[in-house]
Order: sequence, then structure tokens, then C-alpha cells
Amino acid sequence: MGSSISKIMGKLFGSKEMKILMLGLDKAGKTTILYKLKLNKIKTSTPTVGFNVETVTYKNVKFNMWDVGGQQRLRPLWRHYFPATTALIFVIDSSARNRLEEAKEELYSIIGEKEMENVVLLVWANKQDLKDAMKPQEVSDFLELEKNLNNQPWCVIGSNALSGQGLVEGLSWISNNTDVPKK
Amino acid sequence: MSHPHSHSIYLSEAPVRKPQAMGNSLLRKIQRACRMSLAEPDLALNLDVADYINEKQGAAPRDAAIALAKLINNRESHVAIFALSLLDVLVKNCGYPFHLQISRKEFLNELVKRFPGHPPLRYSKIQRLILTALEEWYQTICKHSSYKNDMSYIRDMHRLLKYKGYAFPKISESDLAVLKPSNRLKTASEIQKEQEIAQAAKLEELIRRGKPEDLREANKLMKIMAGFKEDNAIQAKQAISSELNKLKRKADLLNEMLESKDSQNWDNETTQELHSALRVAQPKFQKIIEEEQEDDTLVQDLLKFNDTVNQLLEKFSLLKNGDSNAASQIHPNHVSAPLQQSSGALTNEINLIDFNDLDETPSQVNNTNGAGTSAGAESSANDLLCDLTDLSISNTPSAAQTSFGLGGDIVLGSSQPAPPITTTNSSNNTLDLLGLASPQQPTNGQALNGNGFDFLSGLSTTSSTTMTPARTLVSQSSNLKIEFTISRESDSVIRIKSFFSNLSSSSISNLVFLLAVPKSMALKLQPQSGNFMIANAEDGITQEGTIENASANPSKTLKVKWKVSYFINSTQFDETAVFTLPNV
Repeated sequence: MGSSISKIMGKLFGSKEMKILMLGLDKAGKTTILYKLKLNKIKTSTPTVGFNVETVTYKNVKFNMWDVGGQQRLRPLWRHYFPATTALIFVIDSSARNRLEEAKEELYSIIGEKEMENVVLLVWANKQDLKDAMKPQEVSDFLELEKNLNNQPWCVIGSNALSGQGLVEGLSWISNNTDVPKK
Repeated sequence: MSHPHSHSIYLSEAPVRKPQAMGNSLLRKIQRACRMSLAEPDLALNLDVADYINEKQGAAPRDAAIALAKLINNRESHVAIFALSLLDVLVKNCGYPFHLQISRKEFLNELVKRFPGHPPLRYSKIQRLILTALEEWYQTICKHSSYKNDMSYIRDMHRLLKYKGYAFPKISESDLAVLKPSNRLKTASEIQKEQEIAQAAKLEELIRRGKPEDLREANKLMKIMAGFKEDNAIQAKQAISSELNKLKRKADLLNEMLESKDSQNWDNETTQELHSALRVAQPKFQKIIEEEQEDDTLVQDLLKFNDTVNQLLEKFSLLKNGDSNAASQIHPNHVSAPLQQSSGALTNEINLIDFNDLDETPSQVNNTNGAGTSAGAESSANDLLCDLTDLSISNTPSAAQTSFGLGGDIVLGSSQPAPPITTTNSSNNTLDLLGLASPQQPTNGQALNGNGFDFLSGLSTTSSTTMTPARTLVSQSSNLKIEFTISRESDSVIRIKSFFSNLSSSSISNLVFLLAVPKSMALKLQPQSGNFMIANAEDGITQEGTIENASANPSKTLKVKWKVSYFINSTQFDETAVFTLPNV
């Protein structure tokens, strides 16, 4: 009951709530990011078989963040998480240059889906702490989003899940670029 | 009139944008099938909705269920009746993904909105139809479906209505048969496909619900879907072998019965049934062999079994034609192996997404007295929230949606502890996930002619003479046989003649045959030659028709839907299925 009252209060005071889907190849750092945001802690995680979901509140916005495992055999199941998604966060391991092409392919196959036509896209070029990591701009150029996306807002932000760098900026960008009806 | 916007229709600068295609075209189809101007429920339109849902999956089954619940509560009873008829078609044709939606508490509460807390003296037509539907579901998908554990709210609603004093009509066996799982032989890929569809529907539903216990289940299910593909394959194989064993026992039984000198022993309903079970299964043999080429034992076994089936079918038709001498020359082998011990345990394991979750998600029946007021008082915090959405500043479209499922006087609440429900995993048919085909239904797309399916040519020495080869068997039940002759009249026109034979020992009356073709084509049917057949009448009724605009395209098969209804001894029978026309 308490939670429903706070929901109603939230309505009165104009907080919004949105579903964020966080995808990306395995070992990109999705789960680490999720728990850094939720608990401000580094939780050592094993590869996610299945998914994690946590609610992160930032500046009056409730982000229901779904982190779905990125192993090859889980990817065909990603589409079941598409419905009602407001924003897609695609996490990339910026140090794994040899997997960038694979990541790009997966990204395009997600945003090519009808259900994902209108979502806002944030790419986290993660693991910026590693010294051979590609800069966000390089990642952005490689993904060619400018050329291929014209309907939806997108953005590439460098991030470091360990220090938290880039994470809040990312959520803030999403919040500023979505206009979801108040719920 | 110089103002550019003085007309109500004009092109603006902005490009004309199509509104969200998917949701709306489904709703449009549903509205078309339920519109007031129809004279009666339109089967073709209804089946079109079913096709669309089966093709789209995803949110489609849910959206359809929500839209239908609203139409069923429409003030116009015409619309409500059409909506109930469409509901019936979807339940029977869209399988588990749709069953999952009609078993939602919110849907059921909407469905019984027209039911006062105390039963009226006389039920309205709509109330009768709803009670019939609930009873049908209760008797079939709640008991026989592999996922019957997911249907617990239907059971609860049934129980609640009964408790309130509502009486359910009796449902005829033939109506129930449509929703009972079929013992159809399926190939491994078919089994897995069905399993994947069902699992995907369940996963999406769990994600949508999003309660902690749902998410736990979703995680479990996802692991199964992603990690145990191999398992699925093994289980599919085991399911095939168990289904084959059943068939083999049927073959042996038929064999024994045909050995008998006394015609009483072989000319009866049981032999008819065994015979048709074998005939219907036979076309699948080749498909299974194609899929399981590496499995030499299975292939050899199946080839041998096929020989036996060919012999049996031939012997059967010889006996039918009175040629008992020739028949006695044929001695089919005994084929069935001793019952496999493991099969019982296996079928339980196959039940992948039958979670034993009763502790986690108890199902509840709201059975307080004074039903009129119980709805509001007993509704959960969530429902309270729904009530309050009207107060919120922004009335988003979704606010209207959230009030869905509040129901009327009779509701399944969620704030009371559940009466324990015992569930057992006893069904052997656990793999018939979708359970929508009637048992008698022949396999799609397989032309069965008099020779049965003789891919090992030369093994059967004489061909049977029961039918001319140009005939294609469309359906054979214990009462009725339907055959087509199909010929191409021109590049775009196909001529179909249908023949109906009465296989029962009573006369068939009021036979009505309906046929639906894809929308791009036009169907022209001549009147039926009659609607009455005496017992055992062969080709007692015929009907001719043409399908226009059906160009010859070998890559695209032409599917037609048919439905036949008839009376035997004043009991109504309905049969329906999709039939794939062979290329002509």
C-alpha cells in the first residue's frame, strides 16, 4: 500500500518512469554498470545467464533498467524484452577492437526491429579506463549512427563502470531526450 | 474562402504519417469481425484475425484479448455476440499464447462483468455464451493442456460462478474434442517449434507482469530457452518415439482384429478409428525420416513400421471390399515393443514451463458474501491505484488501459489466501502444447490417396481401390469424410469439387460446409447438392466451386480454411481445419 501511495504522490509531483533496456555483447560490462548505478558498488559478477532488473531513481525519474545477458545463445531472446522500451542502452567494450564489428551487427539488428523504431539510443563506450580503449568518438565513427539513424535521438558516451564516470551523464541524457507521458 | 484550412481534409506540409501499424491493424480486423452491420458471425473474418495473431505473436494475443473483453461488454448485444464468436475462434486456433491471455485474472473479471452477484432467473444469450465458453475451457485447456497450471484463474472463475449459483451448460463431446490435445504424430522440428512459441509467449507475459515472482520465473525460463536447446531436441525425439510406440500398439491391435474370421470383429468403429489413425500418421513418417537421417536405428525402425502399415491398410481395404481371400494372404508383422519404462518420467520432464509455482503465485478466489460490494473492498492495492488514475493530472491513454480488469460484481480478487490447488502432472500428452487440432484432422498438405503413402514403392503389391487417385483426402472423422478433386482451369482459376461421405451408421442432416480462401483470391461456390446423407452414403453430397485469382506459384502454398457442421441424431457436430492445397 505504501508503495502505491508514493506512486500517486509521484504522479502529482510529476516524476516519470521509463523502461530502459541495456544490451550488448557478453563481457561489455552491463551488469557491473547496473549495480554501480544501483548500489554504487562494484559487484563482481559472473556472466549473466538470464537477466537482472533494478530500478534506479535519478532526478525524479525512475529508470527500470533491464540488463539482459549478452552471450551468443541469449541474443535471440533479446527481442522478448523489446515491448514498451523507452530507451535502449547499448554497452560496448571499447578495448575489444576485434569484437566491434560483431557489436555493430547486433546493434543494428536490434534497432532494425519494428518495436525499437522509436526508442532513444545511448551507447556507452565502456571500459575507458583501459589504456588501449577506443575513444567515444572512434566508437561513434565506427558505428556510423549519423549516417544510418534519422528518426531517433542517439548519443555515444564514454564510460567507466568502476569509477562511475559517464554513467550519470548517460541517464541524464536519456532523461532529457525522452518525453514519456507521466505515469 | 481563402483560408487554406477551410476544408476538413487537406495535405499539410508534414508528410502523412502512418499511425503505428501493428496495433491498429489488429484492432481494425477485430472491429471488422464484430461490426454491427454483419448479419451473423463471419468465420472468414474471424479466422483472418486468428491468422494475424499467429503470425505476429508478441503482444498480439494480449491486445486481442483486451479488445475482445471490451467488445463483449458492448451495449449492443449483436457486437457482444460477434465478439464471443471471435473469442471462440481464437481460443481454438491461436493455442497457448492466447490461452495464457484468457486465463489472466483481469480478462476473466471483464468477461463476467455482465453477471450480477446473484444469478438471474433466466440467463441472457450473452450470459449463456460466456458460461458455455468457460465450461468448455474448464473441461479442456484447464485439464488437458500441457500448461494447465497456467490456467488456474479459469478454474477459479469457474468455481466462483458455481459458488454464486450459476449453472453451466453441458458441452457436447464433439465441441470439446476441438480443444483437446491431439495424439498427432509430429516431427522433432514441429515439436520444438511449438515449444518455442509457447515459451516465448510465456516469457513475454512474465516480463510484462513484472512482479518479483514473475521475474524469477522469467529468469528460469530464459535459462531453459537459451541453455537447453539440446535438451529440447532430445525430448522432442523421445516424444516422437513415445508417439510412435502408441501408433505401433494401434497397428498391432488392428492387425489382431483383422485376423478375425468374424466380420463383426473387424467392421466396427474401433477398426475404423485405428485405420484412420494409421493413415493420418503415415505421411509424417517420411518427414521424420528426412529430419532424423543420422539416426539409423530410428530410420530402419520407421521403414519397417511403414511396411506394416501399408500391409494393414491394404488388408483393411480388401476386407472392406469383401475380398477376404486376398486379405488372408497378408500377414503384417507384429511391431510394438514392450512399453518403455521411462516414458512416464520423461513426459513430466518435457513439461518445461510448467512451474510448480503454486506457493509463489497463489491463485485466489474471492468468495466473500455480499458480492455486490466485494469488488471494491477486496481489490488489491493495484486496483486501488487503477481507481485513482482518474485523479491524476495527465490522463494518458494508458490510464484507460489500467482500469481494465476491474470487472463487475464478480471478480477474482487477490488479497485473500488461496485455497490450495492440487495439480498433478499426469497427462501423457504433454507435448501437444497447443492442443488445437482435432484428433481426426489430417496432416496439412499431405495428399492421401488410395495408396496411402507409399514411399517404398513395390512393397505393396496391389493398390487399394477405395478411391480414385485424383481424390485428395481433406478430412476424415469417425462420421464424415471430406475429399476434394482439384484441377486447374486456367492460369488463375482452380476448380474444386468436394465430396462428402457418411462414415457413420446414422444419417447426417443439415450439413453446412464453409470454405475460406486468402483475401487476395475470390471463392465462388455452387450450392451443395444437398444437406442430407443416409448412413454410409458414399459421396452423398457434392459441391463445386472455383477459386479465382489463384496463380500457379509453386513456392507459395495455397491454404484454405474449412468448417463443416452437421447433425447426427439431433446432436450437432462441428469440424474445422486448415487444408493446404497440393500444387496444381
